[in-house]
Amino acid sequence: MATEGAGNLASGSWRVELGSCAGQRMLSSERLALPDYEYLAQRHVLTYMEDAVCQLLENKEDISQYGIARFFTEYFNSVCQGTHILFREFSFIQATPHNRASFLRAFWRCFRTVGKNGDLLTMKEYHCLLQLLCPDFPLELTQKAARIVLMDDAMDCLMSFSDFLLAFQIQFYYSEFLESVAAIYQDLLSGKNPNAVIVPTSSSGQHRQRPTLGEAGMLEGVEASLFSQCLENLCDRHKYSCPPLALVKEVLSNVQRLTFYGFLVALSKHHGINQALGALPDKGDLMHDPAMDEELERLLAQVPGLVNSVTAGSEASCLPSRTPPRVGSPWRPLHHIRKVDAESDGSTEETDESET
Amino acid sequence: MIPGKYRSVSGRATNNVNCGLHLVIQTSSLPEKNKVEFKLHKETPSFPGRLLQHDLERNYSSRQGEHINLVSSSMPSFPILQRSSEEKILYSDRLTLERQKLTVCPIIDGEEHLRLLNFQHNFITRIQNISNLQKLIFLDLYDNQIEEISGLCTLRSLRVLLLGKNRIKKISNLENLKSLDVLDLHGNQITTIENVNHLCDLRVLNLARNLLSHVDNLNGLDSLTELNLRHNQITFVRDVDNLPSLQRLFLSFNNISTFESVCCLADSTSLSDITFDGNPIAQESWYRHTVLQNMMQLRQLDMKRITEEERRMASVIAKKEEEKKRESHKQSLLKEKKRLTINNVARKWDLQQQRVTNIATNQDGKDSDSPSQDPCQVDGSTISAFPEETGSLDSGLSNALQGLSVTDTYLVEVDGDTLSLYGSGALESLDRNWSVQTAGMVTTVSFTFIEFDEIVQVLPKLKIKFPNSLHLKFKETNLVMLQQFNALAQLRRIDQLTVDPQGNPVVSFTLWKYYVLFRLSHFSMQKINGTEVTQNDMIMAERLFGILAHVASSELPQYRLISILGDARKKQFRYLLESKGKKPGIVNEENNDSKRLAGENTNRATLNYTTRDFYNEKLEEIKEKKKFCKTYIEDLVKEATEINMKNEALQKLWPQMFIELVRDAVIEIRNKNSYMKLCLQKITDQK
Repeated sequence: MATEGAGNLASGSWRVELGSCAGQRMLSSERLALPDYEYLAQRHVLTYMEDAVCQLLENKEDISQYGIARFFTEYFNSVCQGTHILFREFSFIQATPHNRASFLRAFWRCFRTVGKNGDLLTMKEYHCLLQLLCPDFPLELTQKAARIVLMDDAMDCLMSFSDFLLAFQIQFYYSEFLESVAAIYQDLLSGKNPNAVIVPTSSSGQHRQRPTLGEAGMLEGVEASLFSQCLENLCDRHKYSCPPLALVKEVLSNVQRLTFYGFLVALSKHHGINQALGALPDKGDLMHDPAMDEELERLLAQVPGLVNSVTAGSEASCLPSRTPPRVGSPWRPLHHIRKVDAESDGSTEETDESET
Repeated sequence: MIPGKYRSVSGRATNNVNCGLHLVIQTSSLPEKNKVEFKLHKETPSFPGRLLQHDLERNYSSRQGEHINLVSSSMPSFPILQRSSEEKILYSDRLTLERQKLTVCPIIDGEEHLRLLNFQHNFITRIQNISNLQKLIFLDLYDNQIEEISGLCTLRSLRVLLLGKNRIKKISNLENLKSLDVLDLHGNQITTIENVNHLCDLRVLNLARNLLSHVDNLNGLDSLTELNLRHNQITFVRDVDNLPSLQRLFLSFNNISTFESVCCLADSTSLSDITFDGNPIAQESWYRHTVLQNMMQLRQLDMKRITEEERRMASVIAKKEEEKKRESHKQSLLKEKKRLTINNVARKWDLQQQRVTNIATNQDGKDSDSPSQDPCQVDGSTISAFPEETGSLDSGLSNALQGLSVTDTYLVEVDGDTLSLYGSGALESLDRNWSVQTAGMVTTVSFTFIEFDEIVQVLPKLKIKFPNSLHLKFKETNLVMLQQFNALAQLRRIDQLTVDPQGNPVVSFTLWKYYVLFRLSHFSMQKINGTEVTQNDMIMAERLFGILAHVASSELPQYRLISILGDARKKQFRYLLESKGKKPGIVNEENNDSKRLAGENTNRATLNYTTRDFYNEKLEEIKEKKKFCKTYIEDLVKEATEINMKNEALQKLWPQMFIELVRDAVIEIRNKNSYMKLCLQKITDQK
């Protein structure tokens, strides 16, 4: 049983790995150069395998009723589709780049309507929305994202959805990278030799401080070329995901000097980085999601029924789950074209099962 | 002539029975009559001025025939009175100088044996020239213009002193009149009762129509049986309980408005007749029975006999009154206690909040270096700060309160259809056995100063115990996140939701109302924070969050759906286990209920709320599982890769091995004969 399971896992995770490392290209020779175990770990296959078993343990009774093989199939399918992060704990959501991208995309899909409505919201309110998808989402990250939008001041200002989302994307997806960058920036500011910089650890971000006013008054920020060199250095060593170096250089080449937040704003507004990250559509299309709009229209059509009577309301609210059309997996319309096989029928049946 | 005068006086008095007072003075020292009857005039308004004038004139003219000569004496101002010897013999002990237009007291010579002297209706301004009449018992100065009591200090045997209708401002100079029996001072300008404490034989004191504002300083008047205080401005009466013989007290036409201001009357054991008519108090509905109840000894009130029936009624009413009063006292006590408790809870809450935020900022790290407060110290300061609050109360209440409320940290109150809970301790009250009626009545439940997470834990109880609750109110409950509203979805029904901005930061969000409408759409809510929910609101809510629900329901993988809904069910189950011991009957029903709930809104049910503690607990659990999974997978993968490696190595070796094997076999059978021999040998050896 155990080995059989492992075999299943391996075959399932293969596809995930292909999907998950969309941005990165790995030569087969590199693959062979690494021992199998390390290779699997590096590709986060192990993370998903562990999580799958964990989920299985969580709901042993229920899952064993409808089949363990079925469970694994579904698990890895959901990982591919990016729906596996819905309502999961933060530690899992940030565990892999794929998870982060999936979360960003889920956030965009779910709350696009809020942005479309034109409401400007506060940082706290955005945080609440994030917490609707991830109950233990840390406030700190949201704060940092808001700092990018608001240039580090007036934290209770209102922000537009797209501004926040793009800034949040950079902050969330590259959070470790940004911490290292912050450390480098500080070192540059204080005049240390940047090339002798010790590899920054994740904790180094904590002693980041605003430059003192006098300094900032005279010459704000650091020299772009020097900064760029350091970042190149960093990207080479960095074990977490970094934005494509070419694009970073492009951002830095346009200016002479820049501040940390200036850099972050430039990153968040950079079209290419957004594309390379691949979670969100282009800025212009942020409010555009025809499939979901269609769905929403259908939902809205049911609202009057809701008002008229309680029973009708409850029935109506059941409807969408009974007829989940699976309008393509969420990833499909964007960058990866994936075949949706006949599994959608099976999952529909099971949805019904779960309701009883 | 003098008896005639008496008759006429009494005759006049009979016209005026209501305001006259019939006095009987027993004076054995009067020889020809054991009883001297006379009338004290207390009420002058019944004698209009003109009549009086007429009377006076008539009397005066009739006097002309009397053999009394007022002769101017050698002293310039004082007339000297002389009577004929005949008259002296006839009325040796009495002298009447009524209506003689006297402006001063005449010198009365050779009349030392006089016992009765009458100066009624003159214009005397000062009492003079009578100090030699030491046997005088009866002195009538009614209707004169006397401004001060004086010249009486030698009249030690004086028993009746009538000074009504004068201009006296002050009771004074009565020190030597120790045997005074009747003192009439009505119709003067006296403002206080004073200098009478030595009159231990005084039986009648008339102070009607004066300017008294209150009654006290009455001790020493041990024989006083009648006290007339009508037509003053008295607002309160004291000291009456120090009058052991007092039987009749007339307080009509004063300014008494409460029974408390005359409550000393209740302590008088001798009092049998009292009047209060013409006082504000007499207008009160409770007046008669209150007086009767408090003064059991009374026989007459406002000139009416008190019947047994009336007394019984009074006692019944009084008992009711008493109960009512006690009730209202209790109520005000409760009200006060409520106020204090709420204050106390509020203070606790504030401290707690501060602590929470302190910890939060500490966790936040960076700029807060102040250590979080020691919780013990916090508790201590709460208690010590409490008595200050009670200082403002009136002492009676606070005395009663001090024992009660210091320890109270929560409050539960049912007021009509509203159940109000203050402080987290109040949540325990949901475990109480509420009567079916009370529970059914409650449609509004209000939470104040309670952490929302704590409320969430009792919502299932609320659902069972108060099935009709339709309106939930939250104030100071730390509602900070939209997802917290998810918890309310498990209730049976909500029509109205009121979330006070105070202590609930979530209300400052523009989206909160729509989220509530969206998440609780299966209740079809009527009002949120007092505003009617419109169709447009519903549509807006759906427009904003519909996709979230759609994504949550249709895109959530099956195993997650099970896990999330399972949690909700588990929570329910956990509660059921708790309540099972108490009420086994409900369990089945509740089970169905939870099933229905699970089926009711699957597309939204995935949006649920677990309290922070519960969530952390779960995370902890997951962490443990994860650890196990990690090692398990590690082992598996290592095993698999090892097998894989061995397999690959085997694959590499196998061709060579095969060749070697074949070669060995070929070499072995190259010499056929010897091989055959060998084989045969083997076979025989086996046998």
